Amino acid sequence: MSLVLYSGGFPEENESLDNILFDIQKKKSNLQITFIPSCSYFADTEFEEFVEQYKKFNVKKIIKFQVDLPFSEIQKKIAFDSDIIHLSGGNTYYFLKHLRKNNMLSELKSWNQNGGILTGLSAGAIIMTKNIATAGFPSFDKDDNDEGINNLKGMELVDFEFFPHYKNSKRYDQELIAHSKTIKTPLYACPDGSGIVVQQDQIRFIGRTACFHNGQKYFVNK
Amino acid sequence: MSVAKKVKESHLYSKFNKINGSHPLKSVVPNGFIDYPARKRKGGKVKYFNYDLAKEMGLIPQSHDNELTPELEEKILDTFSIQIINEFDQLNNRTFSKEDMKEGQYMATRYLQLQHEDKKGRTSGDGRSIWNGQIKHKGMTWDISSCGTGATRLSPATSKYDKFFETGDPSISYGCGYAEVDEGLATSLMSKIFNANGMATERTLGIIEFKNNIAINIRAHNNLLRPSHFLLYLKQDDLESLQSIVDYYIDQEVSSGRWSECPKNHKKYDFFLDKVCHTFAKTVADFEDDYIFCWIDWDGDNILMDGGIIDYGSIRQFGAFHHEYRYDDVERFSTNILEQKSKAKYIIQSFIQSIEYIKTGTKQNLNSFNSHKVLDDFESHFEFQKNRNLLYKMGFTEKKIKQTLKRHEDKVTKLRKLFSYFEKVKSKKGVVKISDGVTCDAVFNMRTFLREMPQILISQKKSLSAEDFIELIKTHYAIEEDLELSSYRRQKIKNIQNSYKKLIKSIASLFQMNYEDLLLELSVRSHVINKTNRMTGDAATYVVEKLANKKLKEDEIFSLINDIVQSQNLIPGKKAYAPKKQVTKELSQIFDIITEFREGI
Repeated sequence: MSLVLYSGGFPEENESLDNILFDIQKKKSNLQITFIPSCSYFADTEFEEFVEQYKKFNVKKIIKFQVDLPFSEIQKKIAFDSDIIHLSGGNTYYFLKHLRKNNMLSELKSWNQNGGILTGLSAGAIIMTKNIATAGFPSFDKDDNDEGINNLKGMELVDFEFFPHYKNSKRYDQELIAHSKTIKTPLYACPDGSGIVVQQDQIRFIGRTACFHNGQKYFVNK
Repeated sequence: MSVAKKVKESHLYSKFNKINGSHPLKSVVPNGFIDYPARKRKGGKVKYFNYDLAKEMGLIPQSHDNELTPELEEKILDTFSIQIINEFDQLNNRTFSKEDMKEGQYMATRYLQLQHEDKKGRTSGDGRSIWNGQIKHKGMTWDISSCGTGATRLSPATSKYDKFFETGDPSISYGCGYAEVDEGLATSLMSKIFNANGMATERTLGIIEFKNNIAINIRAHNNLLRPSHFLLYLKQDDLESLQSIVDYYIDQEVSSGRWSECPKNHKKYDFFLDKVCHTFAKTVADFEDDYIFCWIDWDGDNILMDGGIIDYGSIRQFGAFHHEYRYDDVERFSTNILEQKSKAKYIIQSFIQSIEYIKTGTKQNLNSFNSHKVLDDFESHFEFQKNRNLLYKMGFTEKKIKQTLKRHEDKVTKLRKLFSYFEKVKSKKGVVKISDGVTCDAVFNMRTFLREMPQILISQKKSLSAEDFIELIKTHYAIEEDLELSSYRRQKIKNIQNSYKKLIKSIASLFQMNYEDLLLELSVRSHVINKTNRMTGDAATYVVEKLANKKLKEDEIFSLINDIVQSQNLIPGKKAYAPKKQVTKELSQIFDIITEFREGI
């Protein structure tokens, strides 16, 4: 099982994570990547940028697959024929709702367990973890749960929670520490440009990463 | 407010003062309009103001915040919140205080309209609109008119009942001289989407709201003349006026720089004819390929001289090629999208007749121009544009389109025929009645084909099976019987995929490009051009209901419309970003509506 969790930021900030992604990808040519936007609105610009980002790595086969709209079996088939599937950023609740509605959570999970590399940015990364509760704070910059999602269970591919766009400041820490007291697993917080790479049971922190656990904060990677 | 600040702000909005009813057309065709005195109309408030357009027109400075200050609102109301003193008022000796009277006179222009029995334009024209005036800014000319400013004698109602109506007369809806807020919002929304995507259209400058959903809707465009403004003089054998308005139009286009290559001598008339012919051939081809229903008819109403859209009442953008849709205008049904071409061609034939009339002084029978070379030119421009549009919708850049049409036109035409076959397949349910007309549902959505095919070919080299192909492109309207796979259809499915691949391979070779690189380029571009969530006429109706919500403030409507417009970008490479803050609940609900009706009328 291979996963790459991106916090966010511009493509050039994520070069280290991208380099690792292509290192762990065994297939070195004819790679196919599927881009799954969190929402079909405004996804064209994101897709254009995504293609530009990965063309630099000589990837010529990039597929866009929208899960918040009806799709045919052939569209789904070619999306899952990829070597890498990327879940984009956006509103975590909206994204989760549509992935769940189309049974994509379990399909992506088994595709990943069968050797596909799953990557996610921000909302996409949160969904790969146990629980998407982190989308609900900090109070001053949280995702709106207009969808009224009560079941916050994610794909459970890893045994931790993920907090993207982290800023090392008191007002963030207060809320993250408070949340860490309510969960048993660690909560990793990454600023833009940082991220986590998971290969089988091995976990690597790329860039600065803070861990919040049992009400304590410490850096796992400075 | 301090005196100094007031003076500064009055200077800030001084360009509004030039909008006072005066317009050069008045001296060009003195019998082409009816001039009305007007009074201030009280009780209005600004429901929507298009700051972007106002900046383009020089009405507010570029640095102006998108915020309706009390001073700006006062200026807008002072300039546009008016009601004409019409024949009914005059016959009933209605008097108004001097301070309520506007200084200028505002014209309602005459033009041909098929609804009028006269058929010669002696009774028809602006029935509930007046022209506020014309302003110039940075070399551009802007005509401004307002709808809902009172009943004129040129409305179909006056002509039909042979009487003058009081403005707001509840006994007559169409003809009472009022406009409504929702029609203003619908025009604002759709025209802003079309304009942002490079289409010629009238644009909404603002909406003034009164009680009971009544509104004055203010529109602007570089030139608000329609073919019907010219053709009434042809019908009336009024050579002098016909020549005057043609000369005026040419002068306006030359002075704006749009027709800088126009000759100065009598050859200018041939130039005019060629320009209008090419414009209309391109416009109707674009309408067909963008699935835009615009009721074009022999009168040349509902469209501007530059092919721009005007009068959004019956304008629709379809999600699939619903080519049997007809708008029900109570007394008649409209043309359908495929008939737009022949009507546009008829208008061009009328212009050929007009120009010959001007050049020779003799009006020949319209039928004597049935085989005129300009009509052949219309056909070839139309065909060229249809091929060009298919390549564009496939995702090719202009550079590639240009070369492809030179080297592989036959391959494009072949693909277009196959494409058209699938596009035109209609449901076996037959013609059905809908809220504002009749239609027969489209079975296939060929935008899906154009959007998805490049990435299918990126992923798998082999063609799709007939079953997968049908599954991919079917609309939600399709019933089982519509999707039957006869041997004829199977062959068509095979042919279109082969033809599509062959063309792309030829173009890749022409540009010495790797086939896969070209497919990826096409995939990215065609996703933008053939966007899944395209705003349709049905969606617009429901979106407008949301926008008309009384609780929404003017700035919220402006911001919502701008966000919707961003989401409807169809130009590849143009960055369309999500709103800076998260998608609001209102916007999210609007997106749900657009998604729901995306394949509709």
